Amino acid sequence: MNRRELIKIAAVLLGGSLSSTISSAVIANADNANSTRAPQNPFFDADARKSVAILAELIIPKTDTPGAIEAGVPDFIELIVSEWYTDLERQVFLTGLADIEDYSKKAFGKSFRLCDRKEQTAALTWSEKQSKSHRGSSRPGDNTLSEDAPFFLKMKELTVLGYYTSEIGATQELIYNPMPMKYDGDINFADVGRQWSS
Amino acid sequence: MKENIQFDAIVVGSGISGGWAAKELTEKGLKVLILERGRPLEHGKDYKGEHMTPWEIPYAGKPLRELYKEEYSVQSTSYAFDETTRHFFNNDKKNPYTTSEGKPFEWIRADVVGGRSLLWARQVYRWSDLDFEANKKDGHGIDWPIRYKDIAPWYSYVEKFAGVSGEKLNLPQLPDGEFQKPMEMNIVEKAVKKGIEEHYSDRVMTIGRVAVQTEPKNGRGACHYCGPCQRGCSVGAYFSSHSSTLPAAKKTGNLTLIADSVVERLEYDPIEKRVSGVQVIDTNTGKKTVYRSKLVFLCASTIGSTQILLNSTSQSFPNGLANGSGALGRNMMDHTLGTAAYGFMQGFDDKYYSGNRPNGVYIPRFRNVKGQDEDVDFLRGYGYQGGARRLGWKDMAAQTGGFGADFKNSLKKPGPWLIYLAGFGEHLPSAKNRMTLDDKLVDSFGIPQVKFDAAFHENEFKMRKDIAKQGENMLKAAGAGLVGSFIGSGPPGAGIHEMGTARMGNDPAESVLNKWNQAHEVPNLFVTDGACMTSSSCVNPSITYMALTARAVDYAVKQLQEGLI
Repeated sequence: MNRRELIKIAAVLLGGSLSSTISSAVIANADNANSTRAPQNPFFDADARKSVAILAELIIPKTDTPGAIEAGVPDFIELIVSEWYTDLERQVFLTGLADIEDYSKKAFGKSFRLCDRKEQTAALTWSEKQSKSHRGSSRPGDNTLSEDAPFFLKMKELTVLGYYTSEIGATQELIYNPMPMKYDGDINFADVGRQWSS
Repeated sequence: MKENIQFDAIVVGSGISGGWAAKELTEKGLKVLILERGRPLEHGKDYKGEHMTPWEIPYAGKPLRELYKEEYSVQSTSYAFDETTRHFFNNDKKNPYTTSEGKPFEWIRADVVGGRSLLWARQVYRWSDLDFEANKKDGHGIDWPIRYKDIAPWYSYVEKFAGVSGEKLNLPQLPDGEFQKPMEMNIVEKAVKKGIEEHYSDRVMTIGRVAVQTEPKNGRGACHYCGPCQRGCSVGAYFSSHSSTLPAAKKTGNLTLIADSVVERLEYDPIEKRVSGVQVIDTNTGKKTVYRSKLVFLCASTIGSTQILLNSTSQSFPNGLANGSGALGRNMMDHTLGTAAYGFMQGFDDKYYSGNRPNGVYIPRFRNVKGQDEDVDFLRGYGYQGGARRLGWKDMAAQTGGFGADFKNSLKKPGPWLIYLAGFGEHLPSAKNRMTLDDKLVDSFGIPQVKFDAAFHENEFKMRKDIAKQGENMLKAAGAGLVGSFIGSGPPGAGIHEMGTARMGNDPAESVLNKWNQAHEVPNLFVTDGACMTSSSCVNPSITYMALTARAVDYAVKQLQEGLI
């Protein structure tokens, strides 16, 4: 992290809001828990759905905690791409998926979905390189990622947002306490070991 | 048109001021009707965003861009607006207003019973004589008709009931109040406080004084530190009309509340020299009704109350009711917000916090406190609200390159400690800053639209520069690194502290209200929301509206009993 990055963070953080209060909440109604996190109608074809799942899991893989697929991130991405994205965003996303497919075929002679993990990682690394020249914030959850931001940034933003706001990401990877009952302003990070999800 | 005569008093609006007026009037035995333009809302049951988990929030909190642009273009600029709170806010498309060319104004408003008391940031600071004497001393605006001693007992009265937590400081410019135990600063805020106070003899940092209970009192719970108060609080830990004043008023058996009823105008009887009726439009059916009462309290918000008075023209008052002075609609003030300094504190990477504290830190005004400071090129002053926290996954993910297990593991740990100080600056009264009614445009009820013609000027611009500079200096003195600042350019209204358009004063020739919030020219009419303010101070105004409202009711009822109204 460098000064430019930190200052950029601060500007994004403070630009629109003076309240540092960030969201938090109580135990979910299990029936509703995933109701908003999958598209009403399928949008991707089977191949695209598979590629998106592989990409999401490459960004946030299973470690000692579940990865993006187990947390339902591919459904969340399909929801956003089909229902929330503008035409331009959707086009950039779908073109980016096709570019990864083309790259895999050229570099490895096969479809991205059929590549091994190492090849898939190389394809996503190539995609990240294509995004380097883009200027602008990509803070997940904000509308600060510009509509024409490259595929890699879009894919990463949605994976991160989908994962850390999922029940698995919020409660297993990070910690979540909907009813803290008190504020303690001086605890040792080692005692919790993970950051609060909200 | 239907008529309805069965009330001693009518209160227009059910927000912070209206709730207090209704509580005080009903507890003194008056039969009271509250008229509220917003939709009905039930405490607890209708807080549908309360305690919503991150995975339940639609689109994980991403803004519904088309809808917001189309129907919430103003409201969606508020920090409190999202899918967990949208149901409390005004629909801008259905309730339009207009502005003079090149003079933007943000009118943030609720559209439910309880008004902005549900959504406010709950910061509570008493005014001092530094504020009440400011106009007289520097000649901007007119003199306040009251001083601190007139309102001090009423501050105590409302603070005890509202439930305010905070720390006593014994500062003349920021009088202490009736406080529950203060919330806690975190370890980095304490370090910054120490650094600032060691370096500056005239500056202190304290925990915010906030209308959030830290002790269970008044039949309401203590804060459970879930965080986003603006979604509503079923246990009533923060002060809102729903948690506090409306239940008290209902308990008397003297309250009637009618929602979905927008007041179009007040009727005036030139022989009795009284308001004789309150004419409302049912927002669902368009049906008009006139309600009658002995007393009328306008608590419809600064802009709402002023709009009603401007629209209540008659032969006696061709320029708006109680507007013989011409002051009505003028001297619109807000606070200048959006200017802040920030930095990063090192040496605390092993430290963290638990709980979501709905409050920050406060640095009381230190500029021009003992007369005009020699090194200060503006009048009056500002205070800072701020806080320290570690950057979270949302902030860090976008700044962290790559992907995979290392990327995931890096987000397990919170980022660096950010400290920020954001200024709240006083806005000088100026007759040029005003609201009027547009002579052509009307809203969906046929009521003339409000037109704003207000701006910040040179004094506020100079103040913003000093806010940024002094903020940076203090953070550097406290040992923060990578210190920077930015200067806000938000329009009036963005501070959501609009006030002043029916000001109080001793002279009926230059003010709308007397020292009791009573219209000089219409004895049974009181205005006790932000419209009454003669200057703006630099502190959050709501507690002052509460105190002035309770004080005005006490006076009005005595006058009524003595047959003087």
